Amino acid sequence: MLGALLIFFGVPVLQAQEQPDTPKPVPVIIGGAGFITTFEGGEPHLGPLIAPVLLVPMGNRWLIESRATFEADMTQRPGSSAFHGQVLKGVDYLQLDFIASPYVTVTAGRFLTPFGIFNERLYPIWIRNLQTDPLILPIAVGPSGAGTGAMVRGGFQATSGININYAAYFSALSTVTLSNVTPLDSDRSAGGRLGIFIPNARLEIGGSFQHLLQNERSNSFGFHGGWQPPALPLELRGEYQRSARGSGYWIEPAYRLSQVSFWQYAMRRTQVVARLQQYFVGKLPSDSLPSVNTREFEFGVNYYFRDGLRGVSSYGRQFSELQNKNIWTIGLTYRFAFPLGHGEVN
Amino acid sequence: MRFKRNILACLSVLILGGVLCAAGQEQTKVADSRVSSGADTAPRPTATSAQPVHGGATSHFEGEKRFRANCGRCHMAPHKFPPRMMATIVRHMRVRATITDEDMQIILRYMTE
Repeated sequence: MLGALLIFFGVPVLQAQEQPDTPKPVPVIIGGAGFITTFEGGEPHLGPLIAPVLLVPMGNRWLIESRATFEADMTQRPGSSAFHGQVLKGVDYLQLDFIASPYVTVTAGRFLTPFGIFNERLYPIWIRNLQTDPLILPIAVGPSGAGTGAMVRGGFQATSGININYAAYFSALSTVTLSNVTPLDSDRSAGGRLGIFIPNARLEIGGSFQHLLQNERSNSFGFHGGWQPPALPLELRGEYQRSARGSGYWIEPAYRLSQVSFWQYAMRRTQVVARLQQYFVGKLPSDSLPSVNTREFEFGVNYYFRDGLRGVSSYGRQFSELQNKNIWTIGLTYRFAFPLGHGEVN
Repeated sequence: MRFKRNILACLSVLILGGVLCAAGQEQTKVADSRVSSGADTAPRPTATSAQPVHGGATSHFEGEKRFRANCGRCHMAPHKFPPRMMATIVRHMRVRATITDEDMQIILRYMTE
């Protein structure tokens, strides 16, 4: 076992090389902000949100990264036309990364659980094509979407046309709760994700696994895929997840209208997107998942005003045994980035 | 308990196998590049380069291709940032999106040229 660990970490460390001509990194704050108005079953919700990400590089191999989220869900009280709501504050992740080699990065702290692709990569408000979460999102990652512990991850070229990426983690039980802050809770679990990316075809497929090391000690697994055909401004993504708490899938095509021959200026900035999803109740109850079988279809139109600034809108129809309802969203999202130092200097 | 140990062992073996496979392939490539005569003296992005980048135009094309392939997996292409900001953001994306070391170096060069 010790020998295997030495090979795993030692060989790549010896191969790691410094890049003398690369610019020296500077601390940066990036992130997303937005204001989303949602009408769910006829009830309006106002949702301002800002989620800054702090990045502090140290030397050539270290990086501290953290994302905080400040958001509110403002609703009307009965008999009042004014909107009221409490600002929720939370630290989504706070992690220390050590790039041990070209193939291995070691992460410690509180990290986004690498299960599927939505939680880690598609969640930020300025990235997601539709502003509602997939129904199956909490199946493996829970309501917080984060774990507390350690993780190894990385990517490497397996052949000239295939990249492999992986993540394996252990998360400890955390029940930390601070006043006025979203609980920093996490389950005791272990798991991993393995993906294959074919750059020329822009095709990515992969699978995830998680074993809960507490309570019912159940297993969760999932599959994910993404495809951006090089000849078309099309994105196609999807996930399937299954656990004792439930199972389901979502599939989301998005098409940029840049190939439409009329109204070129507006069309190349316009994206149409749809999402079909279905959730099936599992054997065990969960507070963060629907209590009954649910399916939903959404259709949206996004307009990119300029780099980072986007108008979003969508209509969805949710069908469940409890009630059928319409979900409308409209809003603005913005991605910001600025240096905490001399960013202009190379 | 035994099932759990088996799962963890399988996961470890899978990752270990992949890393060793890549490391072995890398050593072969380095050996091959030493054997071949060096008509191309352009700086290579990393020791892990599988597709050598020749000259400015090809380097730019390769950079754009990898930028669109890797970054486009999740989001629309952003405008370029200042070099030192870009170095930090690319390092962040290397961890977040598990981009390979080679792609990271080529994308950073493309985004700061």
